[in-house]
Amino acid sequence: MNTIFSAARRALPAWLPLALLLVAAPSLAKDEFHLYNWNNYIAPETIKRFEDSCKCEVVQTYYSSNEELLAKIAAGAKGYDMYVPTSNAVDALIKGKKLMPLDQSKLTNLKNIDPRFLNAYFDPGNKYSVPYAMSTTIIGYNDVKMKELGLPTDTWAVIFEPKYLEKVKGRVTVLDDEGELFGAALKYLGYSVNDTDEKHWKEAQALINRAKPYWAAFNASSYIKELTVGNIWLVHGYSNDIFQANLDAQAAKRPFHLVQGMPKEGAVLAVDNMVIPKDAPRPDLALKFMNFMLEGKNSAELTNLIGSGNPNLDAVKYIKPEILKNPAIFPDKEVAARLEQLRDLTAAQRRLRSRMWTEIKAGR
Amino acid sequence: MTVAARRARSFGRWLVAGPPIVYLVVFFAIPSLIMVLASFRTPGEFGGLAPLYEGGTLDLNLDSYARFFSETIYARIFLKSVGYALATTLFCLALAYPLAVLIARSSKRYRDLLLLAVILPFWSNFLIRIYAWMIILGPNAALARSVNGVLAWFGHDPVPLLFSAFAVLVCLVYVSLPFMVLPLYANLEKHDPALLEAAQDLGASAWQRFWRITFPLSLPGVYAGAALVFIPALGIFAIPDILGGPADSLIGNVIKQQFLETRDWPFGSVLSIVLTVAALAIAGLAAWVARRNLGIPSSAKEARA
Amino acid sequence: MPSRRRFGLWLAAAAGYAFLYVPLAIVVVYSFNDSRLNAEWVGFTLNWYRTLFGDDAMISAAGNSLAIALTASAVSTVLGTAAGVAMHRYPSRLLSFLVLAPIAIPEILMGVSLLIFFVLLNFTLGLVSVALAHIAFCIGFVAIVVRARLAGMDESLTEAARDCGATPWNAFRYVTLPLIMPGVIAGALMAFTLSIDDFVITFFTAGAGTVTLPLQIYSMIKIAVTPEVNAVSSLLMLLTLALIIVASKVSPTILRSQEDPAR
Repeated sequence: MNTIFSAARRALPAWLPLALLLVAAPSLAKDEFHLYNWNNYIAPETIKRFEDSCKCEVVQTYYSSNEELLAKIAAGAKGYDMYVPTSNAVDALIKGKKLMPLDQSKLTNLKNIDPRFLNAYFDPGNKYSVPYAMSTTIIGYNDVKMKELGLPTDTWAVIFEPKYLEKVKGRVTVLDDEGELFGAALKYLGYSVNDTDEKHWKEAQALINRAKPYWAAFNASSYIKELTVGNIWLVHGYSNDIFQANLDAQAAKRPFHLVQGMPKEGAVLAVDNMVIPKDAPRPDLALKFMNFMLEGKNSAELTNLIGSGNPNLDAVKYIKPEILKNPAIFPDKEVAARLEQLRDLTAAQRRLRSRMWTEIKAGR
Repeated sequence: MTVAARRARSFGRWLVAGPPIVYLVVFFAIPSLIMVLASFRTPGEFGGLAPLYEGGTLDLNLDSYARFFSETIYARIFLKSVGYALATTLFCLALAYPLAVLIARSSKRYRDLLLLAVILPFWSNFLIRIYAWMIILGPNAALARSVNGVLAWFGHDPVPLLFSAFAVLVCLVYVSLPFMVLPLYANLEKHDPALLEAAQDLGASAWQRFWRITFPLSLPGVYAGAALVFIPALGIFAIPDILGGPADSLIGNVIKQQFLETRDWPFGSVLSIVLTVAALAIAGLAAWVARRNLGIPSSAKEARA
Repeated sequence: MPSRRRFGLWLAAAAGYAFLYVPLAIVVVYSFNDSRLNAEWVGFTLNWYRTLFGDDAMISAAGNSLAIALTASAVSTVLGTAAGVAMHRYPSRLLSFLVLAPIAIPEILMGVSLLIFFVLLNFTLGLVSVALAHIAFCIGFVAIVVRARLAGMDESLTEAARDCGATPWNAFRYVTLPLIMPGVIAGALMAFTLSIDDFVITFFTAGAGTVTLPLQIYSMIKIAVTPEVNAVSSLLMLLTLALIIVASKVSPTILRSQEDPAR
């Protein structure tokens, strides 16, 4: 008995990789559609329905930022059939010639999309991309605390002005994203979020540095948790996240609501798009999926799940009324006019802004 | 040594050293050379790298290096990171030493259990352990309340424990602790208790026994643990990202930023190369000091001499 | 040993264990928390464990992580022990550099460079590419611990064995290996820990259908890292502990260094 065990023990390093290889062997059974998406950015029911309709298997893997996606693609990763990047990342991918042109004859449901979101600046004619879902980057706040302290909730001033920040010192977080934070600062100063004038950037940097001592942290991930628990009272965050935070707060029976505040100066709009990589193994499945998600019913499921904005006009009749009424998720024309999408910068501009960001984040 | 013996020894040398060298050359050195080459190239306009041959000529330059040496902010952040890594190493050592001594001196029955007990928490996911620390250090939790209560008694403003340098340091020590305990244990385990008993019989106090016998004998373990804590701590970015305050970014964060947000791979490579060279230099320096001042033999050859 | 000194040692060690286990206790306790967030205790529930058992994606991710970690730690322990012994017996700058540099190099650089390398070789990304990457950075940890264990140890014992007619392999197996076993075990434990929790390098070297537990969990970071993660972590810890206890019962000499009759 001992010899068997000791022989097995000695052979351990050998058969483990073998076992691994077997596990790693590609499954040849079903058609597979490899979707590379944000986590929790599609309802499980939707996936199931698509799998039934196409008789295929959806293999999902996740990324949690556009930058991670771009870095992986730039290094040559392949095997995916679809990504869902935000507009500025789609811009970079198109210019970098990484995407496959779409066969629009297969996209019969493309007409469902609100014309406002078609023919975007980075993809006129929607040759490469189709809008999927959107969110705005706004202010999220604890309504009880803000009322108590008498702070305004419809302007970026509450994030940038020391006279307001004094009252919430250490209870404010901002996004750890240079594009978003500079965007908010530029909007507050009256410029466009895509302004690339170095002088304006320096003004924005000064504004940020002045407010920085009052902020608790630059945080893009756990700020929702802290907001829901009541440790943080005011955030610069994504509308989806704040929507979810409020649901969690109500579920935990907290004595406050978490409300989205759309600043009157305007904000950043982020539209996520479905695209197909140039070397996708199954572009046919990808196009099927795209057309499937362009149906109002399927598109609405995501909005109902996470409170994301929806560019699909056909989806309106399936969306919960309380979400439709929310001005941060479905802004009216007047507010929509003040929303802007972030654009990709040139390499030189990226370097400059990155240097300014480093100074902000590591300065004394 | 006879010719045959020397040949046998040489063969033995390559049999032992060969496999790891080959593996590391293939899966580490060659990929890294790709990035070292990248540090001399131009960043691609939309990400990645610009083509190596631009219009028929080799496009290599020292621009990224020049940037590093001309803009002092990067050197300053780098020094800050060295400070954090050093502090982490010292606190880890202080915390890990008693643990390692206890485990090494326990009877065989408990030793394995105690050792596993040190490493068990680290088989849970990093992120939720950090979230657990966010709960412990949160402004409404017991720790923050008591600390700020004491401070209030002295008339001081409340101090945030979370989103601060303190939180970063505590978590750095936390994630590095097993990497100090395990090497120390591996070394302490072979110490002969007879030496200590003899010293005690000769009248040495507890402190003397520790400082003049145990500690010097454990130095190789101390250096190994210090290397395995200090060097990785230099490049860490996740902890300042999640728990740090607005000004707690370290060089690891800057490097990550170059590869992701800025998409400036050459500059990211330059920063990484500087970091690696500096880490190895510090490690080499420490080892040299050890050999010189403390007479610790670092290899079998020296032990024989 | 005088009991007063022993008490001081116990106290310091207990403080160390408390430092290690208070956060872990929170992790395990919060796996029963009736709230989506890992932030405050709301109430007791077993729902998250139920969710976990129905969550195929999470379970397969955990299985992948375990498989990769077992393989990577096994191979890197063998290669790392060889490297550690070589660094002690035949010190060379090349080996020292090759062993230390993967520890020093920022993970994101190593991840990107390995991805480029695998793509250049047209190597299909998947579990195997991740395991190969993990082995590369784990070797150093094992090597350094094994070398520290060997430090100060001269070769007379091994040479005596050789003189008595033992082959080099037998001299290693019956003389050197038992002497360095605590170092080898310590290295293996570290390699396993590093592999099972790695994110950055895994992110870049994973294939289009490969999900490991850290990849799954980090992708949840922007929405909510629910107590289901606490549940899967707690179970994975228990499973690994069980595996090790079984392994040590099956091969009792593996975890214990040679009995020293003088002790």
